[in-house]
Amino acid sequence: MILVPVTYKGGIYRHDEIVDLIEDVGGYIIQKHFVAQEVVLQALVPRDDIELIRAIGKPLMGDIIPASLVGTEIAVVTMSLEIHHLPHASCDVAEYIRRNGAKTNMVGLARGFGKRIAQLNDEERDVINEHDLAIFMLGNFEMCIEKKLPVLRRGIDVPIVVCGGPSKEALQKIIDPPVSGYVGNVGRFMHRTKESDEIEKLEEIVAEITRVLDIRREEIAKDPLSVSPARLMDIITEQIPDIQDVTSPTPITVQVAGLRIKLPYDMFAGSVRECEIENGITIGAVADVMPSRMRDYILVRIKPFSDTNLVV
Amino acid sequence: MGALDYFVVECPEPLGGEYYQRIVSTVLQDHDLVRVVAKIHVFIDPAVPIFVATGTTRKLPGLVSIRDFSDLKIEDHKVTISIANEAYLAPLLKILWDRFGQARVDQPDRLTIIMPLERDESEGLPDVVVSDPSEALYKDLIYAMQAIAPEGFKVRRQYYGNMKFYYVASENTLDEEINPLLSEKFRLMGESL
Repeated sequence: MILVPVTYKGGIYRHDEIVDLIEDVGGYIIQKHFVAQEVVLQALVPRDDIELIRAIGKPLMGDIIPASLVGTEIAVVTMSLEIHHLPHASCDVAEYIRRNGAKTNMVGLARGFGKRIAQLNDEERDVINEHDLAIFMLGNFEMCIEKKLPVLRRGIDVPIVVCGGPSKEALQKIIDPPVSGYVGNVGRFMHRTKESDEIEKLEEIVAEITRVLDIRREEIAKDPLSVSPARLMDIITEQIPDIQDVTSPTPITVQVAGLRIKLPYDMFAGSVRECEIENGITIGAVADVMPSRMRDYILVRIKPFSDTNLVV
Repeated sequence: MGALDYFVVECPEPLGGEYYQRIVSTVLQDHDLVRVVAKIHVFIDPAVPIFVATGTTRKLPGLVSIRDFSDLKIEDHKVTISIANEAYLAPLLKILWDRFGQARVDQPDRLTIIMPLERDESEGLPDVVVSDPSEALYKDLIYAMQAIAPEGFKVRRQYYGNMKFYYVASENTLDEEINPLLSEKFRLMGESL
């Protein structure tokens, strides 16, 4: 069964029927939120059942659209949290990616600005490495990007997509060794992105991220995960009732090959490890349950089949 | 920006210069400074690195004295000030407290101040300067320059006055060679420092 990431948007009235339907056909709801009279569901659904969900959702004013980034957690790395970089361009990019289903976290570097003085500290590095992908929002000058990027990428082992003012070709030329993705002509700007060419640029960023993540997913497919992250999310939601009390929009964030559980590590790591998936196989047997560097959250990294000889 | 008499962004990286042209234009509009600035020349060289903004302002509003925003009634043993614009109330009170002491400044309602002053004490009171609008405008202007300049350029020197301003910033220490550079940029605008 191939699960496809989608977004369902529809009226609140009878939306629980859609929720039940997605679960009945074997899909997973990653995120559910209400916007006025509308409900937005980010979900992974079986490819063959998309038309069925669309048909049932139609009388409820609902529509189902592909959302390539559902089930991913992306770090938007901005050089600082000063007015120079926020809200434009960093928030514009983060918000647009979110619309495509990703869970984005803004990582504002303490000393990311400048050419010679730019730095990345160990906490920032570790937090970025907990994501599926990092987008580096860089500035307008080739010279600065060339000089500072080697410092900023040191120790980062997740795929990096670089956004910068110079053209894509110029970025490819100056960045050595290469990063996973490049989007040119998106450097520092201080106005809201609303013109059609600017929206196209945001689309280009989404396309580049999707391309990079597809490569990651293909790599994972060669040595599949012992359990699907979305399934693990369902199991944890069912077996650890305290997760219901977490007020965060995504108490459990689904990643490409893991989860972030927003419960204190010290108190809940043991219970997470002991959660049974099926036939006595616990989460501890198929995944590493580690402390996250983001607050005191729990990070779950699912082991591949080659490590566990198990697929549940 | 058509409202400016002179607007040039100079940069060895042409594309970077174009982006900065847009940033300058956006920031000046956002900070409502387009009508204040007459000429601006921005020079950025990331190789040095240095950011220089030089410019001139249009004629700024003059000093605001007590008579400009209030009605004064000076009697033999009493002065009554009826304030029309509340914006100047706080700085006015501070000046009066410093000059006459809080005990002698009575404020029966928000916009009225009564002081038991003799004629000689109240002499020149209507002309006391309460606010200098150009001070706030220049501060806004320098703040805007900080927003425009690349963030890493933390070492800076700024000047304003006599309808001219400049803002120089860099990552490195600024040496005396800055002065000829500033003079050159003012000359390009047809001005002198």
